[in-house]
Amino acid sequence: MTTPGTGCPFHPSPASGPAGSPSTSRDRGVSRRGLFGGALGAAASAPAAVLLAGAARGDSPSPSGSGVEVTDGAASYPFHGEHQAGILTPQQSAAAYVSFDVTAEDRAGLRELLQTLTTTARFLTSGGTPPDDGLLATAWDNGVVGPEVAADGLTVTASVGSSLFDDRFGLAKAKPARLRPMDEFPNDALDRSICDGDLLLQLCAHHPDTVNHAVRQLMRTTRGGLQVRWRQDGFQSPPRPSGTPRNLLGFKDGTANPSVDDAKLMDDLVWTHGGGAEPAWVEGGSYHVVRKIRMLVEFWDRVSVREQETMFGRDKASGAPLTGAEEFDDPDFGKDATGEVIRFDAHIRLANPRTVDTEKQRFLRRSFNYDAGTDPNGQLDMGLVFTAFNQDLERQFVTVQKRLIDEPLVDYISPVGGGYFFALPGVRSEDDWFGREMFT
Amino acid sequence: MKSTENAAPADVADDGTAAGQDGGSTDEQVDRRPLWRSPKVIVPIAAIAAIAAVVGIKAGTGGDDDAVAAAPHADASVPGTPITVGTDVCGQGWTGGKAGRQTFALWNNSIEGMEVYLQDVATRKVYLDVEALGATATRSASADLGPGTYRFFCIPEESEPLTGPEEKLTGTYDGPVTAGVVPITPNDLAPALRSYLDWVRGQLPTLKRQAQAVADDVRRGDRDAAERDWLTAHRTYETLGAAYDAFGDDDTAINAVPSTTVPAAQDDQLTGFHRVEALLWSGAPTARIRQPAAAIVTAVGHLRADLSTPKLQTQDIGLRAHEILENAIQFELTGRTDAGSHTNLATIDANLTGTARTLSFIRPLLVGRDPHLGETERDLAAAQRLVKSFDHGGRWTPLDRLTRGQREALDARLEETVELLSQVAVITDPRKTAGETQ
Repeated sequence: MTTPGTGCPFHPSPASGPAGSPSTSRDRGVSRRGLFGGALGAAASAPAAVLLAGAARGDSPSPSGSGVEVTDGAASYPFHGEHQAGILTPQQSAAAYVSFDVTAEDRAGLRELLQTLTTTARFLTSGGTPPDDGLLATAWDNGVVGPEVAADGLTVTASVGSSLFDDRFGLAKAKPARLRPMDEFPNDALDRSICDGDLLLQLCAHHPDTVNHAVRQLMRTTRGGLQVRWRQDGFQSPPRPSGTPRNLLGFKDGTANPSVDDAKLMDDLVWTHGGGAEPAWVEGGSYHVVRKIRMLVEFWDRVSVREQETMFGRDKASGAPLTGAEEFDDPDFGKDATGEVIRFDAHIRLANPRTVDTEKQRFLRRSFNYDAGTDPNGQLDMGLVFTAFNQDLERQFVTVQKRLIDEPLVDYISPVGGGYFFALPGVRSEDDWFGREMFT
Repeated sequence: MKSTENAAPADVADDGTAAGQDGGSTDEQVDRRPLWRSPKVIVPIAAIAAIAAVVGIKAGTGGDDDAVAAAPHADASVPGTPITVGTDVCGQGWTGGKAGRQTFALWNNSIEGMEVYLQDVATRKVYLDVEALGATATRSASADLGPGTYRFFCIPEESEPLTGPEEKLTGTYDGPVTAGVVPITPNDLAPALRSYLDWVRGQLPTLKRQAQAVADDVRRGDRDAAERDWLTAHRTYETLGAAYDAFGDDDTAINAVPSTTVPAAQDDQLTGFHRVEALLWSGAPTARIRQPAAAIVTAVGHLRADLSTPKLQTQDIGLRAHEILENAIQFELTGRTDAGSHTNLATIDANLTGTARTLSFIRPLLVGRDPHLGETERDLAAAQRLVKSFDHGGRWTPLDRLTRGQREALDARLEETVELLSQVAVITDPRKTAGETQ
C-alpha cells in the first residue's frame, strides 16, 4: 500500500506486559500446544520497542501526495487496540493469506480456538523467548527465526467468513449484516475451492521467514481446530524508483488510497459501526475483501505501453494520471469531460469517478503481489492478492466492482479466488481475545 | 549393527549426527519404504564412536586409539555458569544459588562424548538434558527451577556414569518452572518392548493364514474372494506397523510402497501386498498373481524367523507411538500407497489399532509422567471412531469420495492426535540413572 501521506499510525511502544492468561485445559480440537502455561507470559514480556530507521515518521503527518518509503517500518506493531493491526499498518513486504475452515466441534471449541489464536498471535507479534515445554514435549517453537523470536513487524489480522455463522456454533444472529460468500462477478473465473472459508488469517511482516514462522506456529497451536482451505503468499515490491510500489503489470497500485492518517476518514470509510442492521459487536472491525486476481502477464507484455496506459488512465513510468504530471496529482475529470485523455472506461475513472456521490464508495486497498509458479500450459501464474477494507461491503467494494464490469482491463486479469471476510474488532487487552464479543 | 545394541538414550530431536551414523549402516535401508527414523539415525554420540570403531571411521569424538587432547578450559564465550563435566568430574563449578532461571555453560573436559542431565534429588525429575556433548565441547543450557536440591548426572559414552554433588537452590520463585520428568530407563522400557514383540509374534500365525487364503483364492481363480481376503490380510499386517523397522527387508517383501513413476501393475520390481493389490484390481489374469501372492506367505514365514532376533531398541517403542500415525498421514491419508483397492482408510484404521496397541505397552510408564495421557487416548479413540465411520460393512469410502468437510474433519483429528502422540516419544526417551548403569 503505502498510501500518499501515509504515516505509521501506531507508535511502537513497549509490549504491554505479560502475554495474557492462557487457559490450562484443552478440549474440542485445539492442540494443547496452544495452551502453553505461564512460560509464554514471561517470555513475551520482552520489550519490542526497538525502532528501525524511519519508523517514527508517522508522528508527523506528511502532506498528501508526498509518497513515503516502504522499505522500513517499526520493529513491532502493538497487538492490542481498538482495531486490529494489519489494516492501517504501513504495508510490510511479505504476506500470507491463509483461509481456514473451523474443525472445532462446537461453540466452546471455537471459543477456545480463538483464545489460542489470540495468545499465539500476541506472542508472535511481540516477540521474545519462546515457551519451553521442558522434557515433556518437542520444542514449542520451530526455530525458523532462531532462538529468540523477533516481532519483525509481524501483524496477525483475523477475519471471519459468513460460513462461521451457520448452525455449527450458534452464531447465526451475530453475523455481520453484509457478510456473505464472495460474489461472482461477470468477468470472474472463480475456483470455489480457493474461495471463502470460516476464518482468514492475514499475516504480514518485514521478512518472509517471519511470515513462514508465524503460519507454522499458528497452525500448530490450532492443529485440531483449523484446517487450511486455501492459502496464498504475497509480497510488496519496493518503490521503483519512488512513490507507490508497482504491481506485476508494472503500474503503481494504490496511489489514490484514502489517507490512513485521517482518523475521521478512516471512521467513515474503513471502520464498521454497530447499530442499524449491524450487530453491536462489529464496532471497530472492517469488511475485508480478498481477491486473488491472476494477471495474464505474457499477454499483457505483448500490449503496447500506450494501450496499457489508456486502460488504466495513468502514465506507466511515473504513475501520474494522464491529465497530470506527477503520481499524486489528482486526475482532473472535469477538464476531461469528453474522455479524450482519460477515457470513460479507464480503470481509474470507473473505480473512482471523484464525484461527491462516490466519495463514500472509496475504500482502503492493501494488496500484495503474488507469484505462484506456472500453470499446466507453462504460463506464469502470478498477479495480485487484491485486499480491501471497507466500512460497508455493499456501499463500497461491491458498488465499485460493479462499475468495473467489462472494463478493458478484464482481458488481462482473471479473478480466481478469495473471499469476503469481516476483520474482527481489535483485541483490547491481555484479557481480551479475537471475536470475544461475537459470543455475547 | 550389533554395535548399536547398547546404544545410550537417543535424542529424538537431534538428527545432526545422522550422516555419520548412516555411514555405518548398509544392510537395512534398501527397502522402498523410507518410513521410519531408524535407530541408526538417532543413536547419540556414544554409538557413533562404537560404529566408527567397527567400520574403521575415524571419529573425532573419541575412541581409545584416537585420543584428542582435551581443551584446557571451557569456551568462555558460551553463556552461563561454567560447569565442568567429564569422566572424573560431574557438575564441578556449580554451587547452587537462587531459584529461578539457571543457565549453565557445560564443558566436557574429557575425551569422550557424553550426556549430562540435571535432576531434582527428591523427586528424581530431570529438568535439563544435554545429549551428545562432544569431547572438549562447551554448550549452554537453561532451565527455570524452583527451590530444592539438585545434582548433575553425567553419562560418558564408555566410562562409568558419575553423580555430581548435591546443591541447593533457595528462595522463592513464582515464575513458570521448566517441565521435568522422572527418567524412564532402558530397563524400564525392556518389558514394554518384550510385550510388544510378543504381541507381534502372536499375530504372525493369523497373518500367515490370511495371506495363504489370498494365495489360495488366486490359485482357484476366485478374484472376488481374493480381493476380500487381501483386505483382511493387509489390515492385519498394518496393525503391526510399529515394527516396520524391525522387519527390515521382510517389510519390503511383504508391503513395499508402489513407485511414483512406474504403475504398480506394471512394476515387476514391486513385491508384497501392493503388487498383489495392483494386479487384482487392475483385472490382471489370476495366473499372473499366483507368484506374488505366494511370495507374501513365504515372506511372512521369514519374518517369523527373523523376529527371533529383533533389531528393535528400547527407544523405538516410544517413537513408534507417533511414527505409525506420522506415516499413515504421509502415505495413507494422501493415497500414496493406493494400488487400486482405494482402501487407505481401512489401512489407517489398522494403523490406529497398532498405535493404540503400542501405547498400551508403555502406558504404565506414561501414567504420572505424561500430563496429556488421557487426552491423547481420548483423541486416539475419537480418531478411530471417525475413521471407522467410513467402513460400510467392509466397503471403505475411497479417499476421493470424502466430502470436503469429511476430509477436513479427518485431517484435523489425525493431525491433532499425532501432535499429542509425539510427546510420548519425548517422555519415553530412555535415560540411564544412577541406579541403572547398564
